[in-house]
Amino acid sequence: MSTETTERRVRPGAPSSSSSDRNAQPAWLIVTLREVMVKAKDRGFAISTIVTLVLIVAGVVFNAYMSSRGEDFTVAVTSEAGQSVTALADEDGRADDGNTTFTAIVVESEEAALEEVRSEEADAALIRDDDGAWTLTGRNEIPRSLSAGISASLEAYMLEANAAAAGTSPEELLAGSELEESLLEGNAEDQAVADVAGFAFSFLFYMASIIFGMAIANSVVEEKQNRVVEILATAIPVRQLLYGKVLGNTILAMVQLALYGGAALLALNLTDTADLVGSIIPASGWFMVFFLFGFLILASMWAVLGSLASRPEDLTSSSTPVMALIFAALGAGLFASGQLLVVASYVPVVSSVAMPIRMLNSEVALWEPILSLVIALGAAAALLHLGEKIYRRAVMQGGGALSLRKAMKLEQ
Amino acid sequence: MLQVQNLTRRFGENTAVDDVSFTVPSGKMTGFVGANGAGKTTTMRMIMGVLTAHAGAVLMDGRPVTAADRATFGYMPEERGLYPKQPILDQLVYLGQLHRMSQADARSRAQDLLERFQLGDRGKDKLESLSLGNQQRVQIAASLLHRPSVLILDEPFSGLDPVAVDSMVDLLREHTAQGVPVLFSSHQLDLVDRLCDNLVVLQKGRLVAAGTGDDLRATAPRRHRLTVSPDAGWVREEAGVTVIDVAGRDAVVELENDDDAQRLLVAAMARGSVHEFSRIRPSLSEIYRGVSQ
Repeated sequence: MSTETTERRVRPGAPSSSSSDRNAQPAWLIVTLREVMVKAKDRGFAISTIVTLVLIVAGVVFNAYMSSRGEDFTVAVTSEAGQSVTALADEDGRADDGNTTFTAIVVESEEAALEEVRSEEADAALIRDDDGAWTLTGRNEIPRSLSAGISASLEAYMLEANAAAAGTSPEELLAGSELEESLLEGNAEDQAVADVAGFAFSFLFYMASIIFGMAIANSVVEEKQNRVVEILATAIPVRQLLYGKVLGNTILAMVQLALYGGAALLALNLTDTADLVGSIIPASGWFMVFFLFGFLILASMWAVLGSLASRPEDLTSSSTPVMALIFAALGAGLFASGQLLVVASYVPVVSSVAMPIRMLNSEVALWEPILSLVIALGAAAALLHLGEKIYRRAVMQGGGALSLRKAMKLEQ
Repeated sequence: MLQVQNLTRRFGENTAVDDVSFTVPSGKMTGFVGANGAGKTTTMRMIMGVLTAHAGAVLMDGRPVTAADRATFGYMPEERGLYPKQPILDQLVYLGQLHRMSQADARSRAQDLLERFQLGDRGKDKLESLSLGNQQRVQIAASLLHRPSVLILDEPFSGLDPVAVDSMVDLLREHTAQGVPVLFSSHQLDLVDRLCDNLVVLQKGRLVAAGTGDDLRATAPRRHRLTVSPDAGWVREEAGVTVIDVAGRDAVVELENDDDAQRLLVAAMARGSVHEFSRIRPSLSEIYRGVSQ
């Protein structure tokens, strides 16, 4: 053909195609950046992230407020004994959480004491009748912390009085009745923190796996449904498309996780409830790493599911196995213990939650999380490889939804 | 020059494309015609590497095309595909970048193409907010964005209004003027007639005709129009003449060769005046109808 030479020389309107090439990024990176940008610009995603952030901070602040909120009680009493009981309650209240106070108003008569309550000058009236029986009278309710405080101090007061009458002392009466509590591992306070943190890990992993996993599957099925994938596949290797999607959504999930975690820690710090946070941080760091590996595995599964579906509606039925795996991870975080938890901490995906929880609960040798990570990494690599094979075949296939078996048999 | 050699593709028992060979010359527009299900889309998908060929090869300047070659091709799939919920300009820039353009280059080229389709001010709009015809224009822009070295367009004109068809034709002519081979399928035979230098005709997966307009016309029956006075009825008796139609002074006849034509003319002049004696050039669509019967 005589035009052959011209064709090699020029392309229409091209100043120079080499200048384009020089600036070009690898295809997977372009896909990754687009996944991130499209999601970041999505108003729904931005709003849900901000709302969740606000809820987390509000939750921490509310919790701190509730636990530090003091109560001030006024008790109308008619006797010196009543005054002493109230003073004792006040002493305990201040010592306990430093915020609950009891003030006594001493009045002449029982009737006057009740009148104080009626007129809301006092929260309750503490009255001892002639038989020595004590009554605490409130207007229409008695706050639990008020009755608990008064009841405890009344017990102590009477114990003291009765002991004195019997010529002994409370200490003697109670000698040998103390029960010391101890834990073989950690302490009670740490255990409570570990439970909360474990719950948080499980839940964050569960949420992110579903939200971003679905996002991957939807973005794959969208391209398949719109046939954009046919144009994309002629421009770049399909493998790079898959990697870009998985990576982009993994980055989004990690950034969101870091945001939520950071907000929670910051709020804990600002509300001075941070004294318990110290023990969470190392486990949280490990959680981020495990999260990354677990999520990579799920991400390749979701991408395959997307490529098998022909419409987004197909995803609901085909996502059952992945959802089961995600539920297993959630369940391990919430319920597993002992030997089961140890096993779970080596099972890919489930280990993303189980291993950090083990590390919170007890001493775990360093090789254990590393071994678990290596297993997860191997699983991630294998699944990404397998996923790529299925994805490459299935994503070009029009028509109805495909089964995994059918997809493996397809030729491109 | 793009060459398709013995391409074959089966789907189960059905052979969708059967040993098809043709050439898409550089700098020429090649029309790809055939009834629905003739195998045009399957052939184009194999050229683009989206579908694996069971036999045969696609050559570019004599050597097998690689994935890198295909990345420089412009492709418009049969089923239109872009992102409905994304702004037009953004997705064009994305596609340009995937075709190894820099972001700035892709942006200016996309803007340029949109302006040529009177969509310059709609770059920020989502694709789905455009009319179907305008979505089609964006689709065309997507295939031309990266200054393709070859254009493979599956039904590029369907759904376009006449103005858009003209813009599209101008754009395609710019590309062929630069030496780009263009293969496009169409059911609009008048357009194929108007645009094509070459024609490839498929029928039930097989090639039934391929070549330049002149090549194909040469194979078509040789017909002449004759207008004489007072009456053309006598041509029926003339030897070596197959009469297609006679009406009063006009006749359309089919002749074996040039000698027969000369003999007919002499006979006509002997019988009266000859007002017209001309060879009928069949249109490509007539050729298409002829071969695909």
